[in-house]
Amino acid sequence: MMDTVKENSQPKILVFSTEKISDPAIDLAGLLKMHYPPTVFTISLPCSSAIKSRWILHAFDKGFDGVFIAADGTDCTYGESCIELTSQVVSRTQDMMREKGLDPARLKMAAICSVCAEPFVNHMINFTEALSKSD
Amino acid sequence: MRNKIGVYICQCGSNISDYVDVEKVKEIASQQEGVSLAKITMFACADSAQKEMVEDIQQNNLDAIVVASCSPQLHVPTFRGVAQRAGLNPYNYVQVNIREQGSWAHSDNPKQATEKAVRSVNAGIARVSHSEALVTIKISALNTVTVIGAGISGMRSAVELADMGTFVHLIEREHFVGGRVSQWGDLFTTHESGEEVVTRLFEEVLKHDKIKLYTGAELLSYSGSVGDMKLQVKLTPRYVKEVCNIENLDKAIEVCPVEVPDEFDFFLTKRKAIYKNFESEFPKMPAIDKANCTFCGECQKVCPDIDLKQKEQIIDIQSGAILLCSGFDPYEPKDGEYGYKTIDNVVTLQQFKRLVELNDDKLIYNGKPIKNVAYIYCVGSRQINGDNKYCSRYCCTSAIHTAINIKEKYGDIQNYHVNRGIRTYGKQELLYEQSSIQGDIYLQFYEDSDAVVEKEGDKTVIRVEDFLTAGKEIDIYPDLVVLVTGMERRKDTSIGDILKVPVGRDRFYNEIHPKLRPVETVIDGIFIAGACQGPKNITEAMKSSLSAAAKANSLLTKGEIELEPTLATINPNACEWCDKCLAACPYNAIEKIEHSGKYIAVVVEAKCKGCGMCAPVCPVDAIEIIGFTNVEIETMIEAMAE
Amino acid sequence: MMIENENLTDSAENGANYDVLVIGGGIAGEEASLNLANMGYQVLLVEKDLSLGGKMIHLSKVFPTLDCAACITTPKVSETMRHPNIKILTNSVVEDIEKNGNGSFTAKVVKKPRYVIEENCTGCQECEDKCPVVVEDQYQYGLVGRKAVYVPFSIASPRIVAIDIENCILCGLCEKVCPADAIDFTQEIEEIPVKVNSVILATGFNLFEPEVITRYGYGKFKNVVTSMQMERQLVPTRPYNGVLRPKDGKMPDNIAYVLCTGSRDHTVGNPICSQVCCMYSIKQAQLLLGALPMADVTIYYLHIRAFGKGFCEFYQQGIGMGVEFVKGKVGRIHEKEDGNLILRYEDIEEGVVKEAEHDLVVLSVGLLANPETKGMFSNDSLALDAFDYVKQVDELINPAKTSIDGVFVAGAASGPMDIPDSILSAGAASSETASYIRRYHEK
Repeated sequence: MMDTVKENSQPKILVFSTEKISDPAIDLAGLLKMHYPPTVFTISLPCSSAIKSRWILHAFDKGFDGVFIAADGTDCTYGESCIELTSQVVSRTQDMMREKGLDPARLKMAAICSVCAEPFVNHMINFTEALSKSD
Repeated sequence: MRNKIGVYICQCGSNISDYVDVEKVKEIASQQEGVSLAKITMFACADSAQKEMVEDIQQNNLDAIVVASCSPQLHVPTFRGVAQRAGLNPYNYVQVNIREQGSWAHSDNPKQATEKAVRSVNAGIARVSHSEALVTIKISALNTVTVIGAGISGMRSAVELADMGTFVHLIEREHFVGGRVSQWGDLFTTHESGEEVVTRLFEEVLKHDKIKLYTGAELLSYSGSVGDMKLQVKLTPRYVKEVCNIENLDKAIEVCPVEVPDEFDFFLTKRKAIYKNFESEFPKMPAIDKANCTFCGECQKVCPDIDLKQKEQIIDIQSGAILLCSGFDPYEPKDGEYGYKTIDNVVTLQQFKRLVELNDDKLIYNGKPIKNVAYIYCVGSRQINGDNKYCSRYCCTSAIHTAINIKEKYGDIQNYHVNRGIRTYGKQELLYEQSSIQGDIYLQFYEDSDAVVEKEGDKTVIRVEDFLTAGKEIDIYPDLVVLVTGMERRKDTSIGDILKVPVGRDRFYNEIHPKLRPVETVIDGIFIAGACQGPKNITEAMKSSLSAAAKANSLLTKGEIELEPTLATINPNACEWCDKCLAACPYNAIEKIEHSGKYIAVVVEAKCKGCGMCAPVCPVDAIEIIGFTNVEIETMIEAMAE
Repeated sequence: MMIENENLTDSAENGANYDVLVIGGGIAGEEASLNLANMGYQVLLVEKDLSLGGKMIHLSKVFPTLDCAACITTPKVSETMRHPNIKILTNSVVEDIEKNGNGSFTAKVVKKPRYVIEENCTGCQECEDKCPVVVEDQYQYGLVGRKAVYVPFSIASPRIVAIDIENCILCGLCEKVCPADAIDFTQEIEEIPVKVNSVILATGFNLFEPEVITRYGYGKFKNVVTSMQMERQLVPTRPYNGVLRPKDGKMPDNIAYVLCTGSRDHTVGNPICSQVCCMYSIKQAQLLLGALPMADVTIYYLHIRAFGKGFCEFYQQGIGMGVEFVKGKVGRIHEKEDGNLILRYEDIEEGVVKEAEHDLVVLSVGLLANPETKGMFSNDSLALDAFDYVKQVDELINPAKTSIDGVFVAGAASGPMDIPDSILSAGAASSETASYIRRYHEK
């Protein structure tokens, strides 16, 4: 595998998206041919409040430079508590990151609605830029 | 662990293969652990390709498949079907998106698009190798639909649903049914009036014992999910007894001392606080408008059927699905936009249509006879500077139809159409032709230079740089300026906010896909139809209502709905009851039980929706979501990071 | 043919009942069939062509989402093929529909011989390799050739061969090489009587054939093509793997679209607007700018009918990409010696007659009614509108209702329509049909 992938200078970002809300927005960005760095990878879940800290830490362990949570925000079909629970996941994980000497700014969250293609792309471009600077 | 995995890389014609080196993706995929077959296909979704997959699975005893093609939003059921037909558990299949989030998103960088595809496919392989065979959960579904909005769309779908055997709760915010169409007169193409169309539909509604109508009904809250959706609805009293004497009620209207601008006539006229909009209006009894009534009691003195003591009621409605038919609002021009509200003889198309209804023999506005009418098109649609970039679709035809009608009705009328390119599509073209033949004059302003409406002495003038006469500036002095205002989504967005229905760029409610799933929303069990989805004429609104009725009926008619088995599961050995998961669960799907001498939490399957909110809060990591387990997610991360 | 359907063939031959006879296997017919089958009704779907998919399966990408047409049709087609409640007969036409007193219908399905045993053919195309006959390929709109024994097109459904007996020289090579013994020259026309409770007409539309407008020189000037021919050059399974001028195979770099060819034109008897040509031309222009980045594309139009959801934005996107829009009617086209074309047109903006040179001209041909519905009924006459489309007798409330109770119309059979509207119209037809069946046959 390794021989096929050249070391990439661009920071690698893992996005946790949600099946019904933010993933369609990311699809829409592709459909509209709005480009963002190809070093962005997506794992889609039912709801952003389901993300475990251990997964985020695992991503950093394995070489991701940043993790972005494309949260359901107020659009979540599972209920309003989604926002609060997702924020709790973020703050808990950031505490753990600090303990491990990781810059908590490497974990970002923003609400991405089902048609937020442009905001998503902007987030990816800005996050990539911010991560490049911090390296 | 699955170890006989088949991997299919779709070219999607050339949508993927133009940017992603599918050969390379296949090559690397075939070297992954557990993969026993990797193939490229032109269209993975084509019948021939599906057949080939079935054969592959059966001949090679594959125990899992990965399809790398488009978004899982589109074809997960397609390939689950393939697995099923081949005798493979449909949950031993993983979809990898290398189109929307691959070739298309990174068409500017084919090399890296390929690298991303390689890793994404490998992640899919890693995930499928840990996948479990699952059985879908069946939940019972109530064969009942709540239709929100009793305009023509809502009534039509209610009738159709009832015809097909589904029970309908039809809820309407106003005290009368019929929505916007009851406001219009002669309709294209059948020349029925709006009243007639509404009457025909309402009579059908009344005939059905399977439809329950609620007027003055406002949606308060929503809970539950497809198959079992609960709505809380506030019923505002109409203050009129159900069995009543119409004559007495007419007297009550006479004596009412309160006068307010009449919204039904777009404020051209006034009405009382106890009112009805037209003679035969349904339900056939007036209502008291609570917001404006002073409760002086004058009406009660002349009519014993009025009951000012009626109370507001809150009721619960249960249904298997919801169909949203909440309609549109006409665009309301800003003060001063083409002289609206600042010049006395400027009205909107909707006001003009009411004016035509109110004037039988002669067309009179503000006491002045009208001979020359100028229509300015695309007001509030196709905006250069405003937010409404869309075309409102019905207004060209509607304005021209009105122009023909008034010429027929009042005779001596000259129409001027100041437009931005007439869009009488399809057979509506004949109307455009007819209006040209009757002598209507068409002027077209440029995309970037607007028509201007000004006062010149006591006259109103429209100045337009006319595209059709080589840019000559032409002045028209009409007696009345009609702003051809388009459709906007409802200003009151409360229903959409409560149900959390997504909206599109035009801010109307959005379907999943205009061609694949045109009346369904991303929320299971919530359908949309009519003009709440985007501008439509009556026939188009009917078609979408009937389509939605068909879809909702086929969802509920079997009495049960299959749900994803991707639920939470709790490891009883690890769990030490702490109630954190219960607190996080929005569905009350966690129960405390005794197990091997300790208290633990268990998941109630029928209630669990698999959202996963409980999983991260568990202090001992005892909760996993099936299909999204630690090992599945973490091996995916590893494959992506490699 | 799918195995699930085989036993149904037998029962159909015995005159068994279907709830619905759907005529036409394009996108509207498929959508209507699937809706009804999902409600539990038994559907007989009859398609005159060799494959399901109608016109849409031949398109490239579709406006305004730019999804590939195949991505939307092929799953619908395969779902239709697979559905246990749907029986499909391709290469077949319906005749003699007769209404009975009890609200049901009898009809005759005429199945034309394919000269191939459908169950045996695997679509391996070995016969096609060997066949010595080459004729114009109608599915590629004459752009390339095909054999006399052939799979209609790469994503056809069923994806099996057929023999074009008119061009076949009966050499027998195909029969010899077929590994599945699927070739059968003895097949004859089969007439299958059926009894059904309702009928849906989803017979679609025909494309305007521009030869009659001699001023445009179609058929005479090689570099004047129709929009459907251009569409075929833009699909992923395109014959040339690129866009080329027919005359000399050069890549065009200055392409003109002539809108309203055969629409809004009394001289050809079709005064109505075809509703889709503006948008498909804008779509093709956008795809062309992608395929030929250096090319100029000019669209000559009367009015741009960008009315549907997302259409106006799509039109603006075309302008933004550099597509040139000229308001003007093209009067005449001349051919130069090098194959380039001179368009003489009235420039409405400037109010003068002008000429412009282009190296490829695409005629955006309009939609016409499919006249076949006329002859299908024997004892009841089906009302048509002034343009031979199936008349909608209660357009505002029951848009699928026709002059014969129990016969419904779906898609472009009732008038020009784009794909989203066709799908909604098919949804309406399925609802109205389901209610009809319940009313007359279930109570």
